[in-house]
Amino acid sequence: MAEEMDVDREADKETSSKPEKMFTLKKWNLVAMWSWDVECDTCAICRVQVMDACLRCQSENKQDDCVVVWGDCNHSFHNCCMSLWVKQNNRCPLCQQEWVVQRIGK
Amino acid sequence: MSLKPKRVEFDKIWPDVLKTIQGVITCGPVERQTWNERFSDVYKLCTALPEPQGDRLYTDTKAFLENHVKTLHAQVCASGHDVLSAYYRHWQNYSRGAGYLNQLYGYLNTTFIKKQKFSDADLNYGGFSVDNTDHMLEIGELALDIWRKHMIDPQKSTLTTLLLSDISADRQGHLVMESVVKGVVSSLVDVENYKKKQAMQLYEEMFENPFLRETGEYYRSEASRLKADCTCSEYMEKVLQRIDTENMRCTKFVHPTTIHKVNQECQQRMVADHLGFLHGETLEMVQKEKHKDLANMYKLLHPLHQGLSRLLECVEEHIRCTGLDAVNNLKQESLPSQFVEAVLEVHSHFSELIRKDFNNDQQFVGALDKACAAVINHKPAIKGPCKSPELLARYCDLLLKKSSKVVSESELDDRLARCITVFKYLDDKDIFQRFYARMLAKRLIYSLSQSMDAEEAMINKLKQACGYEFTNKLHRMFTDMSVSNDHNTGFQQHLQKQKIDLDISFSVMVLQAGAWPISGSQIFPFNIPQELEKTVRTFDSYYSGKFSGRKLTWLHNYCHGELKFNYLKRPYIVNVASYLMGILLTFNSSPTQSFTELASATGLPERELLRHLSSLCETKIIQAEDEVSESSVFTLNMNYSNKRTKFRINVAMSQRDTPQDVENTHSAVDDDRKMFVQAAIVRIMKARKVLKHNMLIQEVITQSTHRFHPNISMIKKCIETLIDKQYLERAPACPEEYSYVA
Repeated sequence: MAEEMDVDREADKETSSKPEKMFTLKKWNLVAMWSWDVECDTCAICRVQVMDACLRCQSENKQDDCVVVWGDCNHSFHNCCMSLWVKQNNRCPLCQQEWVVQRIGK
Repeated sequence: MSLKPKRVEFDKIWPDVLKTIQGVITCGPVERQTWNERFSDVYKLCTALPEPQGDRLYTDTKAFLENHVKTLHAQVCASGHDVLSAYYRHWQNYSRGAGYLNQLYGYLNTTFIKKQKFSDADLNYGGFSVDNTDHMLEIGELALDIWRKHMIDPQKSTLTTLLLSDISADRQGHLVMESVVKGVVSSLVDVENYKKKQAMQLYEEMFENPFLRETGEYYRSEASRLKADCTCSEYMEKVLQRIDTENMRCTKFVHPTTIHKVNQECQQRMVADHLGFLHGETLEMVQKEKHKDLANMYKLLHPLHQGLSRLLECVEEHIRCTGLDAVNNLKQESLPSQFVEAVLEVHSHFSELIRKDFNNDQQFVGALDKACAAVINHKPAIKGPCKSPELLARYCDLLLKKSSKVVSESELDDRLARCITVFKYLDDKDIFQRFYARMLAKRLIYSLSQSMDAEEAMINKLKQACGYEFTNKLHRMFTDMSVSNDHNTGFQQHLQKQKIDLDISFSVMVLQAGAWPISGSQIFPFNIPQELEKTVRTFDSYYSGKFSGRKLTWLHNYCHGELKFNYLKRPYIVNVASYLMGILLTFNSSPTQSFTELASATGLPERELLRHLSSLCETKIIQAEDEVSESSVFTLNMNYSNKRTKFRINVAMSQRDTPQDVENTHSAVDDDRKMFVQAAIVRIMKARKVLKHNMLIQEVITQSTHRFHPNISMIKKCIETLIDKQYLERAPACPEEYSYVA
């Protein structure tokens, strides 16, 4: 143990010949949380948080498949809620523009 | 010999036949030759020309047998007080002889008598009366019938009395000719055995019924005698003995069908008639846990219908009281482990008792379950939540954390399995799940788990106990960990490919929002230190290349890093959380910083910055001239030293649970419950389309009890919410009904 520490110190002396900062960062463990990049946290069709599955998917235990869909208008909903919606009315429920899928989350 | 029918004279042949059958019926010596001749004589007579002589053969044989039995009866009567032995001796001979005789008359039986006998169908459906004595019997049967009429019938009551007195002598311990008694009793069965209907009637009338009456009488007086000079415990002991010996006696003497009836009679007279006496002592025996008495009582009472109910009540109540005593008298320190261990102690103690004393009877296991559930879900205060789910979750946390004292893996597994025992009794399983999830999150993020295998095993155990849905989020947390590992390797490869050098060792954990019991609200604004910006940017671009539509939020309060202190005599490697790292890195520009400079550099809210700076001052790494405040100026302590070269700085309260956290958890559980109930309603209504209000409530309760017990008003509120959200509507015709809106 003591020997190792001596070696460390020598190594440090070499580097300290250059002008050095007081603190250097050695290691960083980051924790991040991902969520759908949406303007509104709640799906306007089923009123459940978009990060949670819609109630239909929850009741059928298909939480993992319940993704989010964005329209050209940048509004977003549960993909399965929206696909039920467009059968009746091909407009965005929030802005009444014609519904064109911009992207589907994955 | 020829089989051709011949003209024969009955009177010529009969004397020979008569002589032989005399020999056969007494089991005397009969030559093979003679036997064969007689056999063909029977044939000849039955096929004789011009008229078959079967009828005459039958009546003459019958007359002979009647005479023979009458003689035997006279002998039996003359035998004085040894009637039973004489009877038995003659019966042995006669019944064997009758069997042979039946064979000798084989031809007569098959050709002549079969035709006139009733078939099974006639007996069952023909409406003939059974005791129609006119019809002919096969010779063997005829012999038995004659025995009954001329031997048994004349001395019915004598036989019965003699048998009963012999058996009662046996009860008194006197020596009895066992084989004689058994033989006579079974003769009563055998003699009528050929009958298709009511074969046991004679036996029942002559022996079984009087015997049962007598037995009942005997044990009635026996019971009151025992009761008079025994304690309850001795009484049970003796009664068990009596029942045992009586069973033995029955197998010695009587027909197997009677044994069960005798047993019942004994129980009725000695146990069922004295239930009050036994019940009076039950409570005390249970409370003092007198194993032998309890075992005896169980043995005595369990054959009776509903006999155990009082014992069950007492046992359940006793377990409940013992359990509550154990749980309520715990000291406050290390409450979780004390609580769980106390509960388990009670549970295993009584499981053992039930196994030993009550033969693991399911009714008692049920009582144990009820009592344990009552203990575990007992609320000390009328209002306020039950603490047990939280305590159990904390106990699991203690076991699974690195600091845990449990060493061997099998012991850990064992203890976790026992947690499941307690878990199964919880009413509010969802509250447990919330607390468990929060503690699991901490273990995973700070890598405090003792073993990932144990973590996974525990989640699987919970899944087994409560289903996939229950552990869904825990599983997702667990998968996030392995997905994060993939990200780390993927990101390193990405860096190599792009030839980017980040200068630091970097690892990342990406958690799925919603799955983790972490909310973004705990995060303060924070400027990522310059040194890290590149790292963060690079990872962001890597991540958005892999997924679409996702955004990342950095949870700085969970991040931590290692800083090297270069300005001191010895180099120190210090483990700090991100906020502290930001503060310390600011000192790189100058060893003296004012509060406002630090605030603008880190972007932290003042209150938080103050808290972190005070912690740093306490470690003496930085110094302030006076009390830490918004106007302080901080300087690096150039003479700082620490015994260790590697250490960690904790900010107070960063990892501890506050009462507010606990409250938050409870309110989060409430939200969860609403979601669960709503999902259940949607599921039910989707299947049923239309349903009455009461039915719907009932079904929701059934579906939720494995997690928690929902109250009715909450279900009603959820129905209202779903009507508002247009999942349901009230049926227009009937306001009591709901219908599903697709």
